[in-house]
Amino acid sequence: MSTELPYAADAEVSLSYDELEVLRLQYEREQLQAHVTVQTKFNFAWGLVKSPLREHQVEGVRLLQDLYRSEPTRRRECLYYLALGHYKMGNFEEAKQFNGLLMEKEPTNLQALSLAQLIEKGVTREGYIGMALVGGAAALGTIVLAGLIRRATRK
Amino acid sequence: MAPTGSQSTINVKLLLIGNSSVGKSSLLLRFSDEQWLPEDESSATIGVDFRVHKMDVNGKKVKLSIWDTAGQERFRTITSSYYRGAQGIILVYDVSSRESFDALPRWYSELETYVSDSVVKILVGNKVDKEFSRQVPTAEASAFAERMNSLFIEASAKMSVNVKETFQEVVEKIIDTPALWTNGTGQSKAQRTDGGRGGVPGGVQVVGLSEEQTDHSGACSC
Repeated sequence: MSTELPYAADAEVSLSYDELEVLRLQYEREQLQAHVTVQTKFNFAWGLVKSPLREHQVEGVRLLQDLYRSEPTRRRECLYYLALGHYKMGNFEEAKQFNGLLMEKEPTNLQALSLAQLIEKGVTREGYIGMALVGGAAALGTIVLAGLIRRATRK
Repeated sequence: MAPTGSQSTINVKLLLIGNSSVGKSSLLLRFSDEQWLPEDESSATIGVDFRVHKMDVNGKKVKLSIWDTAGQERFRTITSSYYRGAQGIILVYDVSSRESFDALPRWYSELETYVSDSVVKILVGNKVDKEFSRQVPTAEASAFAERMNSLFIEASAKMSVNVKETFQEVVEKIIDTPALWTNGTGQSKAQRTDGGRGGVPGGVQVVGLSEEQTDHSGACSC
């Protein structure tokens, strides 16, 4: 019997096109009526942040930032989903910052702790890719340089 | 029956639902990590939490995906999107909170909307460690569970009573329910649309969009 590391399910699972569309329609309908309820806005932002499309994630984060400012009672979930949104976009610094704010208030929040692990993993992965790129560039440079030297000496 | 292949792993999706602070996450934490957090250290679940847990049931390898949903009203719309494909539902109430028990018909009516009748349900009365302030008699809850065609158990995540048994019972019943193993996830009502809203194919389960609309308390959707 074993349990794998917990992870933020909302980071991996996105809504279907139709599901997100329902949330969007509700949001737009209320916008037309000039009054968007907090719940509608939050639901739509949540759906956007879960989406695999970057433009959705950006819009979701923007809505969450609005809500964070205007709705003090919704701050903890806004922080969590702001962190999640930034994590998905690869903005690990921002993700860490928002998740950190949540953990300051709730140091034993298991969801925040597991998201923190995910963010760390993301940072590490990015580090490896960076090193690989630098390493690759260095290798390429050496080859080019060797070629130049060879050509120069042949003359 | 799909789960007969003795060597292959059986995948089972479970969902925890019930009112806020009845101990859904605590039951999951006790089950998966053998841990328990005191009240002042545990926090209300945001949206949904998720765990994968592997166990052996009657010699079969089972991989459980457990979705732990937020009980707070504000997350109702969000959590409803996680019902799809669930084979087992763990409904939790707090034996020391009458209110959490009285809310059960609402949770059952939500189940009627999102999952098929063959999905295995278990009603869990948590916090039996608070026997001194019990508000829901065992007999009453047990009778209610029987009426709702559910298994019934009383447990304590804090004292680690009947927690493993809860999950064990659900999984055993799921494995023994052939209807849950015909053509993949045929058990869900995913084909249904959201109460006629738009009638889009593919099954939109995100319903009850505004706070006003989510409140169909007590209304039986039959």
